[in-house]
Amino acid sequence: MSFTTTTHDDHDHGHGHGPAVEGAENPGGHHEPAELRDHKERLALWMFIAGDALFLILMVFTWFYLRTLNSNGMWDAAQCSTANPCEDGLGNPILAQITRADPWHAVIIAACTVLAAGFVWLAEIGAKKNTTKGAISTPAGMAFLFMVLAIAMQIYQFQVLPFTTIDGAYASTYEFFMGSTLAHLLILAFVGLGLWIRSTRGRHAGGTWYRVRLIRFFAVWVALSTVILTVVGALFA
Amino acid sequence: MSFEEQVDDIEANTILGGEPFFSRAGGKIFIIWLGFTIVGVLIGVYAPHHLLPTLLSPQGSDVWKTIVVFTVLAAPVAAFVYAVSFYSLFAWRHKGNQDEPPPDAMPQRGNGPMTVVWLAISSLLVVVLLFWGITVWNTQQVTHANTLQVNVTGQQWLWTYSYPGTGVETRTLELPLNRPVEFNITSVDVTHGFWPAVLGVQVDANPNVTTIIRTTPDKLGNFTVRCSQLCGLYHAFMNNKAAVVTPQQFSAWLQGLGATQAAADQTAGISSSASSPTTTLPDATTATPTTVPGETATTLTPDTTAPATTAPATTVPDGSTTTTGPAGIPTTTAPA
Amino acid sequence: MTTALAPPLLEDTKLGPNAGGLYERLNIWTGLGFGIFLGFVAWVVSHATLQGSNWGTDMVVTCTMLGWVIGFNIGIGTFNAPIRWMLGHDQTHEDELYVAGVGQGRHRYLKYCTDHKVVGTQYLVLVMVLFAVGGTLAMMIRTQLITAHSSFLDPQTYNAIVTVHGMVMIIATIVMVSGPFANFIMPIMIGAKDMAFPRLNAMSFWVIFSAVPCILATFFLGGVNAGWTTYAPLSVQAPPAMDAFAMCIIVFVVSVTVAGVNTIVTVVTMRAKGMTMGRLPIFTWGSIIGAGLGLYAMPAFLLAMTMMITDRVTGTSFFVAAYGGSGWLWENVFWIMGHPEVYVILIPPVAAVLEIASTFARKPVFGYKVAIAGFVAIASLAIMVWAHHMFTTGWAPNLAGPFMLTTELISIPTGIIFLCTIGTLWKGSIWTRLPMYFVYLFIWNFIIGGVTGIYLSDVPADQYFHGDMFVTAHFHYTLLGGAMIGATAAVCYWFPKMSGKMLNERIGKVAFWLIAIGIQVTYFGQFWEGFQGMPRRVAYYDPQFLSANQMSTIGAYTLMAGWLVFLYMMLHGWRNGKIAPANPWHSKTLEWKVPTPVPLENFLVDPVVTSDPYTYGEGVPDGQEVPDFAPSDDPELVPAGSAGSGAQTDAGGDH
Repeated sequence: MSFTTTTHDDHDHGHGHGPAVEGAENPGGHHEPAELRDHKERLALWMFIAGDALFLILMVFTWFYLRTLNSNGMWDAAQCSTANPCEDGLGNPILAQITRADPWHAVIIAACTVLAAGFVWLAEIGAKKNTTKGAISTPAGMAFLFMVLAIAMQIYQFQVLPFTTIDGAYASTYEFFMGSTLAHLLILAFVGLGLWIRSTRGRHAGGTWYRVRLIRFFAVWVALSTVILTVVGALFA
Repeated sequence: MSFEEQVDDIEANTILGGEPFFSRAGGKIFIIWLGFTIVGVLIGVYAPHHLLPTLLSPQGSDVWKTIVVFTVLAAPVAAFVYAVSFYSLFAWRHKGNQDEPPPDAMPQRGNGPMTVVWLAISSLLVVVLLFWGITVWNTQQVTHANTLQVNVTGQQWLWTYSYPGTGVETRTLELPLNRPVEFNITSVDVTHGFWPAVLGVQVDANPNVTTIIRTTPDKLGNFTVRCSQLCGLYHAFMNNKAAVVTPQQFSAWLQGLGATQAAADQTAGISSSASSPTTTLPDATTATPTTVPGETATTLTPDTTAPATTAPATTVPDGSTTTTGPAGIPTTTAPA
Repeated sequence: MTTALAPPLLEDTKLGPNAGGLYERLNIWTGLGFGIFLGFVAWVVSHATLQGSNWGTDMVVTCTMLGWVIGFNIGIGTFNAPIRWMLGHDQTHEDELYVAGVGQGRHRYLKYCTDHKVVGTQYLVLVMVLFAVGGTLAMMIRTQLITAHSSFLDPQTYNAIVTVHGMVMIIATIVMVSGPFANFIMPIMIGAKDMAFPRLNAMSFWVIFSAVPCILATFFLGGVNAGWTTYAPLSVQAPPAMDAFAMCIIVFVVSVTVAGVNTIVTVVTMRAKGMTMGRLPIFTWGSIIGAGLGLYAMPAFLLAMTMMITDRVTGTSFFVAAYGGSGWLWENVFWIMGHPEVYVILIPPVAAVLEIASTFARKPVFGYKVAIAGFVAIASLAIMVWAHHMFTTGWAPNLAGPFMLTTELISIPTGIIFLCTIGTLWKGSIWTRLPMYFVYLFIWNFIIGGVTGIYLSDVPADQYFHGDMFVTAHFHYTLLGGAMIGATAAVCYWFPKMSGKMLNERIGKVAFWLIAIGIQVTYFGQFWEGFQGMPRRVAYYDPQFLSANQMSTIGAYTLMAGWLVFLYMMLHGWRNGKIAPANPWHSKTLEWKVPTPVPLENFLVDPVVTSDPYTYGEGVPDGQEVPDFAPSDDPELVPAGSAGSGAQTDAGGDH
């Protein structure tokens, strides 16, 4: 595989072995105008985010529906007591009166995602200004760091939860929120890692700063959805 | 175009042109439309009656009426679409060389008035349908005093019916004629569908929830209760026999299953005074038998020395019931 | 169209020895191999670590399916581009030509290929395979039901077949128009060189391909006995097959979401100069409206199936009432997806029917703007009707009235679509070639399907009909009789462009009549069953339902014969058909203005768009043309798409 760095304004007028063309999508290899590429990618990302927002809304709906329904009194297993413990179908005891998850764990995770998004924003500003590679790669690296921290914290939270998935509807939905956050963080970390690596290779200088903006949109969305889930989980337990 | 040409053009292209109505496109389409409408209306009026089983309650009759009304209302609309489509194949079809396209037709991109008329008619139809549906639905929400409570429990793969106050639990359903009944339905495992189709009501049986449907059987007859929600391996077998019987037969049936006569009579809505189905408990020692005109009376006088229950009433498929009274004489009452 | 000075075609480019890199070695066989390998590894590892734990078997099945899907997509090359992006090794121009299929001949159909025409053809073959599978299962169902207590299938197998038949057909009908035609035809229709995201396009195909074995595997894992709607809590208790089923859906959702985004972005951003939104063919409008609705519905499906998996694999209690869950939660989330989804199935074929009606009546589409408004209204209302599937569940009886209202309102825009269809036929010059046959059959069937839906939308009447065969007959009339027949018309219409051959219409007419009669007999038999009170999804029934079932089974065999003849016609046409001219139907949309076979990047010269493609009878030159390539003395000729003349965002005109 050949790869060479390229400056952004290299237009290819023939069919020859062109230089590596960052993201040019049509096989003719002829550059699509940057505005067109940006327009396409932003539109696509907004549609993905809209779908993800629907997913979020339905998750929150699930939370409030099961909480209101409180079927068999088992939203929080309040009917179970230590004297008379409940058991699930496999004979595992269900804790009496589920202890709520520590909201601060979720807050820390949400804070990490917000900081990651903030650093991506700084990277975008650096890309727009197009001064040095470091202006992009340093904030990108910081962003990636906070994404990894958030993932680590999320995994830690799974391990220290005072309940497990078998402990009723509250436990189920809360851990589902955590799982969804983790999945989004993993995708975000992949993108963040790519941003960092690419920026250290000078890929996002100048003419393709809008690519960093795209990543910023996604990072902000992940932060926003994490915050929403944190608030719901903490305030409406 | 000259004025004459314009008139010719209008006459040729609009329904209001000068030729006799039925020899023009509009007229012929009208005839085809009429044909389809008549067929549709006939289907609407006759087919449900022949295809549906005997419906045993006003709710069931509502279903039948709804089908008839909706079909009759839909027939002209469907007929119009069919008429235009069929006519197009007869009148405007290109008959020449099929390898080449016919010459272009007229460049008509739309017809504002037609669209407005169409929208108006379809909206009006929807309003009518809605009005009908909501009216019927509201009549079904009316609750009555003195309803018969039946608890229905669904499980994989049978239905259990219990009648509160009688201690009776069975796998067949019997209901007394003309008594409002309220089913309280739940499930002990997965979601089932409680479906006494001919009563015109249906609701799912959900675990940990009780759902309620109400009906008033107004015809005697046998039917089947089926499960309408796929519930696993033997969903196809989750059926049981059911019947609407007279209150006397119902009471006798309950007693045959272990209910005291008092409880059975109360549940059946029978009281010592034959006129009103009140809730006074008939005195067990002085109960007088009630008779329904046209039926042979079944003696129900309790005999404290004899066994408290009469022989169980058996329901055979033709609906007649044979009971053995205390005197040992079998008395058969046929359904009215 | 080529002259002595025609430029070299892009697909004739000679690539260097390293073009494509890793892609050179990847194809469907490496995909299958790596998928089986990784699935096996996942099975071994999860079996060793998890089998003893609670829900161990479910975990093993889930991990195995995940291993298969990821392994297949590694093996076919789906992940190449994202990983190269992450590492900063962007594809070269040569790589991109390779991945577009240059220099590989027929092999490109078995590889990850970004050319939208290849992807469209791949989708068409996949859809045909899915219909063959679903159809075979349908014939097994109808064969079982030819007697009241058949010994052909046991209840568990029967329930499993009913489930997979339903879901395979749903998958097939969702992609039957958006896969082949929104991919192959639509970009050419709008004057674009390809889809907006060609790599995502190839990805969406291979991802859905990898989902199919998951659902077929359910037969070997105990069978899903809960119907395609897999209501909880029954499905929470189902055999491990349910985990494979859920994985299939989750993967499928990813594919459909990506494809939907791709379709919409393509139409919004990649139209040729002069192709304003108001000049788009109606089929394109139907495609993006259907795709948009799909984007709304798919997240709900994803949520439902993910919660199902957690309930089964980790013991959550979303749907287990004893521990705080509710079957109604499943039903609501499922139908929030399930109802819009049938309009995702319906809208693209209906738009194709309008397109075909216009061409074969030699008339513009009647009420073009009104039809678009109708589609938008249908899509908007579709979001608000889902609980009409829940009228008899006992959930929220107070909402029965509002949902009855919204459901009956949908009949208004649907009626408008009928107006546009018959308005197009009105005083047209009807050219009864094979695609037009299916247009008429669509009209006939969809009226019946739509009217019977109105009975079901009435809450009191639904209390009789819910869960019985009337419902089955209604949705088969709309989905098979309506949507699938519309798709069949689309296949007949676009076959010459996609394959370069003409279909033998005499064989086609035999197929048509068998299908037409088969549909009526099969599903009127089921309406009859429904009136009598026969429930759905039963392997055995009361003898009183015998006649109706026999009628339906006879109809089904007729229908099957029709589809087999249709398949034969397609194969025969593909191998031995007459060579198709570029525009056999003398249509005015852009896809017919390019040569057959269509060149890579579609247009050798930029299309010229000055009006919509419905100028029939106006006595003007076509408003959407690709000018004949004009000979020139300039030896430096470059094809369209060189810097400065590439596809641009819509410029000028109204949107």
